[in-house]
Amino acid sequence: MMTTPWIILPFPCGSDFPDRRGLRKDLLIALRVSGSPVIVDFSSCGTLNHEDIDLLLECVAQAAGRDTKVLFVAGSRVNRVLLEVTRISSLVPVFNSVREALAYPQIAAENDAKVLRASQFQKPGSA
Amino acid sequence: MPILGNDILRSWMDRIRKLGLRSLWLTSSPREESVDGSGLDGSAQAEFARQGVERLLVIQLKAYAEMDLADLLLFHCESRNPVTEAEDARGQLGVCLRDHLALHAKGEQYAFASAPPDRGQTPYQFRGYAKRILSARERQELVGDGLTGACAMRPLGTEIRDQVWVGEGANLADSARVIGPTYIGARTIVHAGATIGPFASVEHDCVVDCGTTVERSTILPHTYLAPGLLIRHQLVDGGYLEDLSWGAVADLRPAGLGRRIQRRESRRQAFHETDVLSRAGRASTRHFAASSTASQPWLRIEL
Repeated sequence: MMTTPWIILPFPCGSDFPDRRGLRKDLLIALRVSGSPVIVDFSSCGTLNHEDIDLLLECVAQAAGRDTKVLFVAGSRVNRVLLEVTRISSLVPVFNSVREALAYPQIAAENDAKVLRASQFQKPGSA
Repeated sequence: MPILGNDILRSWMDRIRKLGLRSLWLTSSPREESVDGSGLDGSAQAEFARQGVERLLVIQLKAYAEMDLADLLLFHCESRNPVTEAEDARGQLGVCLRDHLALHAKGEQYAFASAPPDRGQTPYQFRGYAKRILSARERQELVGDGLTGACAMRPLGTEIRDQVWVGEGANLADSARVIGPTYIGARTIVHAGATIGPFASVEHDCVVDCGTTVERSTILPHTYLAPGLLIRHQLVDGGYLEDLSWGAVADLRPAGLGRRIQRRESRRQAFHETDVLSRAGRASTRHFAASSTASQPWLRIEL
C-alpha cells in the first residue's frame, strides 16, 4: 500500500490552543525528520500573535537546509497580509487552502516521482 | 489625517478664503444616517434658514479637489439651481451650494419627513484634479501624484534630494536608505538599515525600526513599525494595516508588529499649537441646534 507523500499538520495558534505544546513538538519533529513535504495549516487561526509568528519562523528555520519542503496554508487574507509583512511569505510558499497547496507544482511533481519510484520498485516483485 | 504633511482642511480653507469669505463653521458627523448628500442634517439646515443665511457652501472632507470655488459659485448663479452639487466622472465630490429656498425646503423636510428630496438639479461638472481621500487606494494615488508633481499639492518639508522631502526634526540613521520619490514627515525617526521609498509617505511623529522597508505605502502619524517588516502597497494607521490590493485590514498589535505611539516632542508641539489658536481667539464653539440629531458642536474658524 502506498503511503501519503505529504504531511498536513494543524498550526497550534494562540496560547489557549488545546495541547499547544504537544502540537508544536509534533510540528517541529515532522519538519526535522520527515522527507515528505509538510503543509502547515493555520486556516483555523483568526489572527496571529507574536508567539505564532515566532513559531512560524522556527518552522522555517527547521526546514532550512534540509530536504523537507514546507508550505503554509494561511486560510484568510488577514493572515496572508501578516505573512507578507513579516516577510515569511518570501521564504515559504503560502496558499489559501489545503487543496490549493496540494496542487502546488513541486508537491505534485514530488508525488508523481514517488508514484513512479513505487511502481518501478514493485515491477520486479510482481513479475 | 495629513497627506504629505498637508492638511486637507487647510487646503479647502485657502480656497474659501479666495472667495473673500472671512469665517467658516466646522462640524463632524460621526453618524452616516444623520446627514444627507450635502453632509448636513436637516436640523442644521433649518437653523441656517432661520438665521437668514442666503447661500450655503457645504464641503465634506472626503475629497481633495483642485476646485475654483468662484467658478462653482458662478455656475450655481447662472444655472439658477436651488442646489448645486459638484461632481466629477466618478460622482459627487462632497462640495455643494444651497440657496435659502433649498435650506427652507430641507428644514421643512426635516420637520415633515414625507417632503420630497432634492432631485433634477444640474450638477457642476468638475474636470480638474480630484481624489477621494477616504479610500486608501485613492489616497495612495494622491500621495504618488503629490510626490511626482502630477497635482498642485506639494510635500511639506525640505527637498533634500531630487524628489525626497523631509519634514522638520526628522531623524534618519546613516545606514537608512531613502529612495525617491518619498516623503518623511516632521519628527519621524528612521532607524538603521530601514528603507523608505519609492512612493512612500511616512507622516509626522512615526518610528520606523531597524531593517523595515516601506514602499508604495503610507504610514499615518504616530505609528510605530517593528524591525524587519515589509510594508508594500499598504496603509498603516497605528496598530492597523490595510492592504491596498486585497482591501484586508490586519491588526498588527497582537503580533507586536506595529502600534500607535505618542511621542513627547509631538505632545509638546500639539499643546503649543492649541495654545496659539486659543490665545489668538480664532476659534469658538457652540451647539448650533438643540436637536438630538445635531448634537455635534460647531466650531467657528476665522479665516
